[in-house]
Amino acid sequence: MRIPILKLHHYLLVSIQTEIDDHTAIQFQEDLLSKIHKSGSSGVVIDLTSVEMIDSFIAKVLGDVVTMSDLMGAKVVLTGIQPAVAITLIDLGIHMKNVPTALNLEQGLTKLHQELGE
Amino acid sequence: MDQQFKRIAIEHSDAIVQRWLEEINSLKEGNYTASISDELFESTNREFVNVIFTSIKNQGSTAAVEEFSEKIINLGWPLSYITDGLQVFRRETVDYILSQSDKVDSDFISNVLKSVDLWVEPLIRQLVNEYSGSWEHILSLQRVALQELSAPLIPVMDKITIMPLVGTIDTERAKLIMENLLEGAIKHNSEVVLMDITGVPVVDTMVAHHIIQAAEAVRLIGSTCILVGIRPEIAQTIVNLGIDLGKFPTKSSLRKGFKTALEITNRKVIDLKSQEEDAENLMGSLDGE
Repeated sequence: MRIPILKLHHYLLVSIQTEIDDHTAIQFQEDLLSKIHKSGSSGVVIDLTSVEMIDSFIAKVLGDVVTMSDLMGAKVVLTGIQPAVAITLIDLGIHMKNVPTALNLEQGLTKLHQELGE
Repeated sequence: MDQQFKRIAIEHSDAIVQRWLEEINSLKEGNYTASISDELFESTNREFVNVIFTSIKNQGSTAAVEEFSEKIINLGWPLSYITDGLQVFRRETVDYILSQSDKVDSDFISNVLKSVDLWVEPLIRQLVNEYSGSWEHILSLQRVALQELSAPLIPVMDKITIMPLVGTIDTERAKLIMENLLEGAIKHNSEVVLMDITGVPVVDTMVAHHIIQAAEAVRLIGSTCILVGIRPEIAQTIVNLGIDLGKFPTKSSLRKGFKTALEITNRKVIDLKSQEEDAENLMGSLDGE
């Protein structure tokens, strides 16, 4: 199962609709980075509205993806993290400090827009 | 044997009631029921005695007892009125039956005690149960009310939500606060959440830890948490305890926090009319006259 990555002008949109296992997460990391490389996008929005559970490994992968994309010149915003997911992450001591977040896809795009100064 | 005692008690109920009333009235002096009017006291005593006798006759008629206890509870009379009343009744009845019998030996006395106990015990048990049941009910209602009050969330305007916290924060409440905060932020689509701790008397490491966790979680779901209402003594405690609150914005008052929140959401408060314009208009109208 691969996670679809959509291109929207300069941005890439990713909506994760299923529970992610470790393998899918790694696959996603590779897919996203190569897509950024190919399309030369400057911003990525990853929407997690439908995700009900994130474990420490997935959280680490997501944090890594954000840093890696940053290195390649693409800003990443995570959107739609559910309350239950947020509480679990905080309880696990995962604060994802370097990751920008937004309430929903719309605000995520606005945030990207602001941060890229366009 | 028991039937015989019961017959004596019921046949001479008037005499027993008379002695019981006297005894109860002497208890009234300077006691729990001092503030109750004599009439009400009298009528309630009558009713009490009736309930006791019906209960003895019918081997515990629960409906009458329930009704009576409900009435007493609603009147707000203390439980000691009921227990005292029943103790007095037991004593008086035993006394009376003994005085009515010619042949009294220790077996007889123990039999009398046993059967009178059998009449009174179930009554006491039921009345005490009714009382404690009503207390527990009130307690649970209050607990629910308290929980409803413990973490309110006010969507003051578009994209800005305020959570005023009053009273001490324990782990259970902190959990409730975090859940309400996150769900409310998503529900109201709030970009900024102001947490007002003006009413929190003590901020120790535990409370600070809970607040920090809530703020971090709010950041994860994509909005910003501003901590407002930090009083001087709280600022001192926080620094003295070595708690690092530097990671998210804090403000001394709700007003300042609200201003910051407006800035974050790219808005500001402007007066519809400036005072200077007002003055000019006033002068203009004066000139015109």
